[in-house]
Amino acid sequence: MIVRMLSAALVAGFLAAVVATGLQLALTSPLILQAETFEGGHSHASAAQGAPAVAPPAAVTLAALIVPAHAHSHAHGHGDAAPGETSDAWEPAPGFPRMAFTGLATLVGGVGYALLLAAVMLALRREPTPQAGLGIGIAGFLAVVLAPAIGLPPELPGMGAAPLALRQSWWLMTVAATGVGLYLIAVRRVPLTILGGLVLIVAPHLVGAPHSVDTVSSPLPPATAAQFAARSLAIGFVFWALIGLAYGWAWGLFARSAGADAPVRAHG
Amino acid sequence: MTTATLQTQAATRSGEGARALLVAAFLGLGLVFVAGFAPASALHNAAHDFRHAQNFPCH
Repeated sequence: MIVRMLSAALVAGFLAAVVATGLQLALTSPLILQAETFEGGHSHASAAQGAPAVAPPAAVTLAALIVPAHAHSHAHGHGDAAPGETSDAWEPAPGFPRMAFTGLATLVGGVGYALLLAAVMLALRREPTPQAGLGIGIAGFLAVVLAPAIGLPPELPGMGAAPLALRQSWWLMTVAATGVGLYLIAVRRVPLTILGGLVLIVAPHLVGAPHSVDTVSSPLPPATAAQFAARSLAIGFVFWALIGLAYGWAWGLFARSAGADAPVRAHG
Repeated sequence: MTTATLQTQAATRSGEGARALLVAAFLGLGLVFVAGFAPASALHNAAHDFRHAQNFPCH
């Protein structure tokens, strides 16, 4: 069972990561590169290649995947940079290596999400079918992507923000509370748990996400930030839905190969 | 005898299920941590665009 689950999670994470990586490279990475041109202290990478330090957005978008602009780590002006983080920390080279590492990170994250989805299905004792997987995948999207985005909208580099540790804590708390809340509402489904679930889902937003006082002074065009947020949420939805669908599909696929898990066993 | 065997099998299955759940949760949280939260700056830089696109709080 463990081998079958791990195999299905690997397949699901891989398939979803392939699609999500394509979407990220096409939709969000160009906006990230564009935003980095508005960040201070980034100029060395561009200048080294003879590109203008601040290019017009249209040109940046076109050249986004080839013009090196990844130097955001120098621009940690908000004082939340990890201790010891310096400008000479390793980072993937611009262009293809950076795209490859984005793909790798998406793969690692996708397999991780697929395993968590598998754990939830096991805990709920749901037989993994594509349909059941899609249901849990959408719940995952609601809890992990949409709920935290209400308080902390998807953010481009260079946008003013509250300290990282505060935002990470609020993010984790919101994901956990929304997940448990959805469970109480959708699985337990009696008035008391539905009420409790609603309270859990709303509570993090009543507490409020940590906000910086300095979100207004960002030089980033608001339209770019809005477009990034919308695209990011759309990619998150596709990612989670595919992970759920593919996990259910792959679980069925490995049914025959995992003979030890067949429902009928030899009597000892 | 049969009942005992069935009970043993059921216990084995649920024990296996619990083990599978622990393995999945542990590995899953570990991978998501590496991709989305690990503070080491090399990991942060490698996963930077993924973290932004998937709305992890990032620098």
